[in-house]
Amino acid sequence: MEIREPQKRISKLALKVWKITGILHSILVWMACAAAMFLVSLFNWSTWFTSIALIIALFYSVLFIFIIPKLRWKRWKYEVREQEIELQHGVFIIKRTLVPMIRVQHVDTVQGPLLRNYDLATITISTAATVHHIPAIDMIEADRLRHSISALARVDEDDV
Amino acid sequence: MSNYKRLHPITAISNFLKELKQLIAPIIIFFFIGRGDHKESIWEYSSMFFMVLMILIVLITGIVKWRRFTYRLEEGELRIEYGLLVKKKRYIPFERIQSLDLSEGILHRPFGLVKVKIETAGSNMTEAEAELTAIKKSEADEIQRIISEAKKSSPKIETNDAPIDFEQSDTIIYQISKKEMFIMASTSGGAGVIVSALLAFFSQFNEMIPYEKIFKELSHLVESGVFLIIFLIVLLLLAAWIGSILVTLIKYNGFTTKQNDGNLIITRGLLERRQTTIPLHRIQAVRITENPLRQLWGYASVYIESAGGSVADKESMNVVLIPIVKKSKIPSILDGTLTGYNFNTSFHKAPGRAKNRYMIREILKVFPVSAGLAIAFWPFGLISIILLGFFAVYGHLRFRSAGWSIEQEQLSLRFRGLLKHTIFMKKNRIQSMMVKQSWFQRKLQLASIFSTVKSSGSGKTSKVFHLDLLDVEKIYQWYRQ
Repeated sequence: MEIREPQKRISKLALKVWKITGILHSILVWMACAAAMFLVSLFNWSTWFTSIALIIALFYSVLFIFIIPKLRWKRWKYEVREQEIELQHGVFIIKRTLVPMIRVQHVDTVQGPLLRNYDLATITISTAATVHHIPAIDMIEADRLRHSISALARVDEDDV
Repeated sequence: MSNYKRLHPITAISNFLKELKQLIAPIIIFFFIGRGDHKESIWEYSSMFFMVLMILIVLITGIVKWRRFTYRLEEGELRIEYGLLVKKKRYIPFERIQSLDLSEGILHRPFGLVKVKIETAGSNMTEAEAELTAIKKSEADEIQRIISEAKKSSPKIETNDAPIDFEQSDTIIYQISKKEMFIMASTSGGAGVIVSALLAFFSQFNEMIPYEKIFKELSHLVESGVFLIIFLIVLLLLAAWIGSILVTLIKYNGFTTKQNDGNLIITRGLLERRQTTIPLHRIQAVRITENPLRQLWGYASVYIESAGGSVADKESMNVVLIPIVKKSKIPSILDGTLTGYNFNTSFHKAPGRAKNRYMIREILKVFPVSAGLAIAFWPFGLISIILLGFFAVYGHLRFRSAGWSIEQEQLSLRFRGLLKHTIFMKKNRIQSMMVKQSWFQRKLQLASIFSTVKSSGSGKTSKVFHLDLLDVEKIYQWYRQ
C-alpha cells in the first residue's frame, strides 16, 4: 500500500512464543493422528486413512511452527502517534487499522504464562465499539504504551 | 413526587402470567404423570396437588414482587427498589437517562396504563436499565416532563416557560400513509420470501407439467389428490403472506416520527402502542436500506444507529426512523432534522476490474453446494449449476451497488448484501477504520474498507469490498486528519 506503513515491530520473542504455541497445538494434532492410526489398525480399515492423517499432521506442524509465525511476525507492525494508533497485520490478507486517540476508551495488558516467561504482554485497545490487540510486545514497552495511550485518550462524552 | 410509588396492581397479574409461561412444560408433565391405570393411587392426587401448589407459589411471588417494587423521583434521581428475597436498589441520575420508551400492551390499554423502559448509555448492558411494567399514562408523562426538565436545566440557564416551549416544538417529520402501509406490508421481508417462493413454484409448475395432459386427466389427478395438495400448498403460502401483512399492519400502524426539542420521538403500533425517544446527539450514523422488492418500486427505509439502548432489545438495536417512503423524498424529509448530513451525495463506484472479484467470490461460496449436489444426484444434480449462475448475477448486483463518497466531514458508503444499504457517517462518530487487502486484490490494485460506528452496546461495521486502492487510500487519509 502506498500510505506510509507503521514503523514499529513487535518483539522478536513473539516468534518464539508463537512457535511454542504451534508446537503445543501440533502435539495435540499428532495425538489425534496416533488415535486415528490405532483405530485403523484395530478395525483393519484402509491404510489410506493413515496416510491422510499423517499428511495432515505433518502439514499442520510445518505450517504452524515454521511458516506462519515468521510471516505473521514479519507483517505485524504498529505505531502509536499523538493523534492515532495504527496497526498492520495479517498473513494472507493484510489488514490496516486506524484508531484515533480520542476514540480510545481504555487500554489493557494481558499476560499468559507463556508470554510472562518471555516478559511479553498483549495490549488490548478498546473503543466504544471495537477492540484491537497488539500481541506480544515487550513488557516495558507495553507499560509505557499503556501509560501514554491512557494519558492521550480522552473520552468526549458527547461523541461517545 | 418524592414519596414511594407502586406500579399498578395489574403488574401482579402480568408477573404471574410471565412466570406461568415458564412453568408450562413442568405443569404439562405433572398433568400427565399419574394418569395411570390405578385411579385410586395416591400419586393421582399428589400430582394434582403439586400442580396447584406450583401455581399458587407463582401467584404469590407475582403479588409479592409487585408489592416490593417501588419507585420514586428524588434528588434528581430515579430510585427503584425491588427484589423478592434480596432487596435491590437502583438509583439512576436523570442526566444519565438516555430515553424513556413507552409502550402499551393489550393488558395496559383498558386501564390507561403504559410500560416505561428507561435506557441509559451503559457500555455492556444486556437489558434495559430499568423497567416500570405498568403505570398510569399521566404519571409517565409527568416523569418524562420532570426528567427532560431536569436535564435541560442542569447545565444550562433555567427558563420558566420551558414546559410550554417543549409542547409547542413538536414537529411531525413523517407519518405513514395508507398507501405506504399497504406497500410496506406487502413487500416486507417475510412477504418477499413467500412471493418469490410462490413465483418459483408456479414457474416450476409451468415447465414441469404439460397442461394438455392435465386437462385430459384432470379428473384422475383430482382423484389421486395431486391437485388438492398443490391447491393446499398455494393456500398455505397465501395464508402465510396475508399473515405477514397483518403482522406488519399491526406493528407499524400509525407510525409517526416527531421531532421535539433535540429528541426524535417515534410512535407506532395498533395493539401495543410503542413510543421511543432518541436524543438527536446520540445518533451515530444514518442508514437507508432497500430490500429488492421495494427497490423495484423506488421505496426505501431509513434507520439510525444510536448509542443508547440495550443489546438484548432488538427494537432499540435497529431504530426505524422512516419505515417506508419514496427514496427520492428522503433528503427533503430529513434535511431539517438531521442537519449536517448530506443525503444527496454522489457516489464513486468500484472500478470495472473489481467485477470479476465480486462474481468469483459469490460463485466460490456456492460451488461446494453445487458440486455436492451434482455428485450426489448424478446426473440430474448437474442442474444445480444454475445456482452458480444465480450467484454470479448476485455478485454482479453487489458490484454495482458498491460505492463511496466523502464530503467534508461525512463518509457515505453503499453496499449490498441481500438488502442494499447506504450508510452516512460523520468523521467524529467513526470509531475505527480498517483497510483489508488480499493477495488477489493487491495484484489488481484493489482493497476493501471497513468502517465501524457505535450502535447500541456494540459496534456496527460497514464493509465495502474491492474498491480502487487509490480511493481506499483517500478514505483512509481523510479519516486520519
